[in-house]
Amino acid sequence: MAGPDALWEALWALLPRTKEELKLELGEKVEGSVVMLLQEAAELFYGDKRQECLQTCEALLDYSWEKLNTGPWQHVDKDWRRVFSFSCLLKAVCLCAPPGDAASVAAALKACDMGLLMGAAILGDILLKVTAVLQKHLPSGKRPAPDPSQEPLGIKKARNDHVPIPDVTSERTVPRLHCPSLQYFREHFLDPGRPVILEGVADHWPCMRKWSLEYIQEIAGCRTVPVEVGSRYTDEEWSQTLMTVDEFISKYVRNEPKDIGYLAQHQLFDQIPELKQDISIPDYCCLGSGEEEEITINAWFGPQGTISPLHQDPQQNFLAQVGAAQNIGLPPPPGPATRGLAALCTFKH
Amino acid sequence: MAEERRGAWFGFGFCGFGQALGSGRGRQVHSPEPLRAPGAGLDVCRVSASWSYTAFVTRGGGQVELSGFTVGAAGGCRDAWASEELLVVLRTGPGPGAGTELQAWAPGSALRGEPLWAQTVPEAEREDGPGGDETQAGPLPLLPCARAYVSPRPPFYRPLAPTLRARRLELGAEHALLLDAAGQVFSWGGGRHGQLGHGTLEAEPEPRLLQALQGLTMAEVAAGGWHSLCVSEAGDIYIWGWNESGQLALPTKSLAEDGKTTAEASGLNEDGSEVKRVAGGEDGAPAPFIAVQPFPALLDLPLGSDAVKASCGSRHTAVVTRTGELYTWGWGEKPQGPVERMAKQLISL
Repeated sequence: MAGPDALWEALWALLPRTKEELKLELGEKVEGSVVMLLQEAAELFYGDKRQECLQTCEALLDYSWEKLNTGPWQHVDKDWRRVFSFSCLLKAVCLCAPPGDAASVAAALKACDMGLLMGAAILGDILLKVTAVLQKHLPSGKRPAPDPSQEPLGIKKARNDHVPIPDVTSERTVPRLHCPSLQYFREHFLDPGRPVILEGVADHWPCMRKWSLEYIQEIAGCRTVPVEVGSRYTDEEWSQTLMTVDEFISKYVRNEPKDIGYLAQHQLFDQIPELKQDISIPDYCCLGSGEEEEITINAWFGPQGTISPLHQDPQQNFLAQVGAAQNIGLPPPPGPATRGLAALCTFKH
Repeated sequence: MAEERRGAWFGFGFCGFGQALGSGRGRQVHSPEPLRAPGAGLDVCRVSASWSYTAFVTRGGGQVELSGFTVGAAGGCRDAWASEELLVVLRTGPGPGAGTELQAWAPGSALRGEPLWAQTVPEAEREDGPGGDETQAGPLPLLPCARAYVSPRPPFYRPLAPTLRARRLELGAEHALLLDAAGQVFSWGGGRHGQLGHGTLEAEPEPRLLQALQGLTMAEVAAGGWHSLCVSEAGDIYIWGWNESGQLALPTKSLAEDGKTTAEASGLNEDGSEVKRVAGGEDGAPAPFIAVQPFPALLDLPLGSDAVKASCGSRHTAVVTRTGELYTWGWGEKPQGPVERMAKQLISL
């Protein structure tokens, strides 16, 4: 196992050589006091003053966190998110200074994840690179001890006998098509805004053969993700929290969980690029009117019984299901703004 | 405004900008230390603390001194209000009958050059007879005439309905609290964290009376970043809003996960000895954590003390009792050790 010095060297290889290069171009929204503190943090960092740098980073994190929590998320100025990411970066690297231990590497990984979840990309997506390095250097002993009552390897089968499947008459079912041409799809479903189930499109995605709870834990077990706790987001008891993927799986997926936990609508594949390699973007997505950069990929990961209440999305959607079956209810046409929903279904048993 | 009782000023909290809290050594002052106000011997009557700097107002010459990230001084000021976005001062005109001018300055300007914005404001209408002073409206951001208040974000000058008869006004990150002449409390602004106290998470565009406090006469109001409190004439504390750092002295999720089941309020007696009492919870059973309290909750202080003054930081709360004890709780009160940060207001002991 590579020692803490190897980790430290690998991290430094990712950073700019001088403190002048480690800077952010920030607009007017960020006050002079914060700019000064950012400069101070960079100076302390390159001056090998790790403890003072950590303290300065904490102050920056605390202040920028408050900006991130003021007003609706879409109105938060991107510069504040970049300040937040910058502080997470310095904090993470400082925590890995030798002599490091497993706890500090885990803390550093958490700091990176906070920057990825709430911050904005800086310095050429440096947080993703740092995370990849950290994951390589996690000592194998850090993984949580497997639960003795854990299920044997393989996918947890859906207990379909307990889940009522709604009885739907044939005129109201959504049509199923096997790999229609782009043009056919556009003419018959995209433009008129009609839902359709496309079969055979995702069959060859690596996720279909690779994904299991064990695989997900291996790739991303120690990563921090947002989890919604509670039956549905319209309930009073509903709340959002952060936890590692390991914690999420052991608490809310395996072992007959008593509460509902749902990793819902999270851009998981931006945070964990290793998982993104297991999926593809269907060609049909390029038929949309927007730019390719506007395509967002969200993940939903949860146990049986998770519910998303009826809602309307501002964008057209493709839904790909890996794992047990899901019931989707759609309001009948020509209801208000019924955008099409295309589902790429491959049921895995 | 009634004359502040002369006393000594103490400060504690984050002073990474050299805000001259306490001895001025170190980046954090953990326990109250005598304030090293600039200009020895100046009689400080009001202190307004922002994150990176502090504004001191003195009697007599009406000097405003700035300490911290921005350093400067100016005369002829009767009140000052410090925020990161804006430094607001109330200046008396040069001659008798010259009126009062409200000035908004960029904090970095250190009161040199020209203000960003200035406006003559009417004086308060003085009532003859006993108690005339008490009916005058309180400190900034409320203007003496009680017809308007100052906001750190444009529009800077915000009128208030005369029917409100405002006596005190406090601003949070996204909301405002108003205490009127009859001791009623109004709130408006963003409500996503329950900080308005109307029982919902909805925003209110206009001042709305807190129904839950009907029949009670309040003497003080205070607003934190996302929480609110008021103190009744009888000395009871009512508190509501976001509790993510325990700023409501209610059990928080992070404390519950750390194994502590109850929130603690710690305080200082007059001789400086520490008092630690446990608030909330019954028979040691784990109390359910409360993330948001959307309507006022009565908070008991240890020893059944009566509160007389209250003040909030962005994520913490401080209260002074009738017998002169200071209690603080919220962010920074972590099991690892009490680190008070970002003291937004200093209290006269």
